[in-house]
Amino acid sequence: MMPIRTIAIACLTVREAVRSKLLLSLAILLVAGLIGLPLLIAGDNTLSGKIQVILTYTLGFATTILSITTLWTACGGFSKEIQDRRLYLVITKPLHRYELWLGKWLGMLTMNLGLLALTGITISVMAHQTIHRSTDSLMVKRQVSEQFLMARQGLQPLTPDWSDFVKKTTQRLIESGRLQEKMMPAVIQQKLIEELSIKRFTIPPGGGAQFSFKRPETQENSHDLLLSYKFDSTRPERSPVAARWTMGTNPEHQIQVDVTNYPGVPAILAVINDETAGTNILTFTYQRLDTNSQATLLMADRTQAPELLVPYGSFGMNLIRGLFIILCRLAFLAALGLMVGCLLSTPVAVFAAFFIIILVASSGYVESVATSGVFFVPHEGPASEQTWLNQSILHLFRVFHVVTQPLTKLDPVPLLATGRVVSGQMTLQALVWLAGLYSAITALIGITLFNRRELG
Amino acid sequence: MMGANNELVIEARSLTKVFHDFWHRPKICAVKEINLEVKRGEIFGLLGPNGSGKSTTIKMILGLLHPTSGHLTVLGKSPRDVAVKAKIGFMPEESYLYKYLTAAEILNFYANLYGLSGNAKRDIVERLINQVGLNAARSRPIGEFSKGMARRVGLAQCLLNDPDLILLDEPTSGLDPIACREVKDLLLSLARKGKTILICSHHLADMQDICDRVAILLNGEVCSQGTVHDLLINPDTLRLSLQSPSRETLSAILNYIEQETGQRPQVDHTGRTLESVYIETVTRRPVSL
Repeated sequence: MMPIRTIAIACLTVREAVRSKLLLSLAILLVAGLIGLPLLIAGDNTLSGKIQVILTYTLGFATTILSITTLWTACGGFSKEIQDRRLYLVITKPLHRYELWLGKWLGMLTMNLGLLALTGITISVMAHQTIHRSTDSLMVKRQVSEQFLMARQGLQPLTPDWSDFVKKTTQRLIESGRLQEKMMPAVIQQKLIEELSIKRFTIPPGGGAQFSFKRPETQENSHDLLLSYKFDSTRPERSPVAARWTMGTNPEHQIQVDVTNYPGVPAILAVINDETAGTNILTFTYQRLDTNSQATLLMADRTQAPELLVPYGSFGMNLIRGLFIILCRLAFLAALGLMVGCLLSTPVAVFAAFFIIILVASSGYVESVATSGVFFVPHEGPASEQTWLNQSILHLFRVFHVVTQPLTKLDPVPLLATGRVVSGQMTLQALVWLAGLYSAITALIGITLFNRRELG
Repeated sequence: MMGANNELVIEARSLTKVFHDFWHRPKICAVKEINLEVKRGEIFGLLGPNGSGKSTTIKMILGLLHPTSGHLTVLGKSPRDVAVKAKIGFMPEESYLYKYLTAAEILNFYANLYGLSGNAKRDIVERLINQVGLNAARSRPIGEFSKGMARRVGLAQCLLNDPDLILLDEPTSGLDPIACREVKDLLLSLARKGKTILICSHHLADMQDICDRVAILLNGEVCSQGTVHDLLINPDTLRLSLQSPSRETLSAILNYIEQETGQRPQVDHTGRTLESVYIETVTRRPVSL
């Protein structure tokens, strides 16, 4: 019996959206926005820039529009029907309130599924058509296609084994007696490793750096490998830097490419995959050619080292995974809206729901408060000087930060916009955390409150 | 009393409902310790002016509101029990229907909520659409319906589950006299089949026509309760009806009564009700929706 009633409510929710022209208006707005936005945003006029605009802005636009409408309609899902008393007749029928709640939620998911499918198809067609119709050379088209219309896994360079060197240096420093008395050997070793890491990515004029990557065993060979890198300069002027990338360590089979890049601008080096066949460790050497420059380059900070992008799967499947994660987020938003909407009137529910979302979105601030451990008192104030109120709020922030992390971290848009793979693990996490756990907890609270509510 | 037996379908003892404000302070006592007993197969009427507590009582019976104190059972169980709701049909005062759905769609939707499916659902929806006279308008959205037509849909949805207990809030409101008569006939036939009906209405004539028992509420309290016959009867006066006699005979009868009782009786012609005149006139022509 339960599925019939739940499905009936879900179908009614979809039917209402269709008959009230909400679905049609949203579909038109979405398609118009998806097509119009890339025309309005100029970008850098390169094919690569155009594709990036399509992927970044349109996906962001679709996510924002769908999030707002989902939250809005979910807030009105119950409150509007309670207000105009249509719910009276439904509630007096033999169905549990959780069936009613679930039906509404499923109806909203069905609508969003349809709209996300429309978004996916539109974006996919637009990206392919933009490349197909471009007047750029075939090589440029291929490069852009390889870079964006492909799911790629990012590999970090292997960290050299510094353990022996660090141990010996530590021993030598301790024996020399040049260290502070209280300094532990572990701390010294940590500091040495940090120094070596910085040195590794610091390239003086005429100098170079080497990066090795371990190729995954299941990687396909029909597409190029891409080396993504970026560097910053110690000099304020942003003059271009000439350099040579050398791939491989055997002089007989080395491939060399001369490049000129600007500091702060991300760059991509394409390597034909066939030329690396049979090699498990891929080594890239960056050699600066500008010996008379004054600037020292920092190839990357420790969190963003050069990355080897290896083919992982098709763009279509990647887009589907990304859209599925967005659907999981919308599932949570629908649950949140319904929860608030079964307690408050529509405008108040909308206000409350958006307030919660703004709180979640401000997780950057929450994170800084939670990690720095400072609230209200100056940064330099010791923890013991903090009042119980500060301490309590701090704990609240820490809990809030932990709780909201999956909501903000599971974002596929930056990955899709840069051709990075939206992994199955991330998709599963979104399913378990957002559509599963978070929606279930929100639903549980909502259903409990709704069960207790009188409809008079 | 028509088909009533002693099995209690609704039992309320000291039923009280107090509404509270935002700070949970008592705001208004809508129903004050009322006692009601509605037996299986009877048509029971709840009467009273606006704000007397009729709707609040009905909402408590439907499980929409929770009693503040007292005891309330419907079909022997709590009114919030889903099994009880499966045996109840409710027609609200206003037609709280989804205006974007057609008559057939809305009946199908509610039938789904009753767990009906397949042929059983199709048959009952078809039967009810015909029964309430909406076959010609079945595909029109309810938003385009007149109030009377929407009331018919409301009545049809109330009968989808062949309920044991039917709760009707102003069932004849917005209906033309013919439809009103049809509804009353339908309710009487349902009562004859053993259905229990609780009606809440301001149409006293309608209530008098069909109710077995009534309770009159005022300020949340039951002021008067009993069978319609008992409430209406005046044991101190009698009405004597006979075919109009000759002037001489009538004078002799009146003189005799005056001589025996010391009172001069009133004499007038018995009249028809306006409803019966209207029905007789209008039914000569076919009515189209």
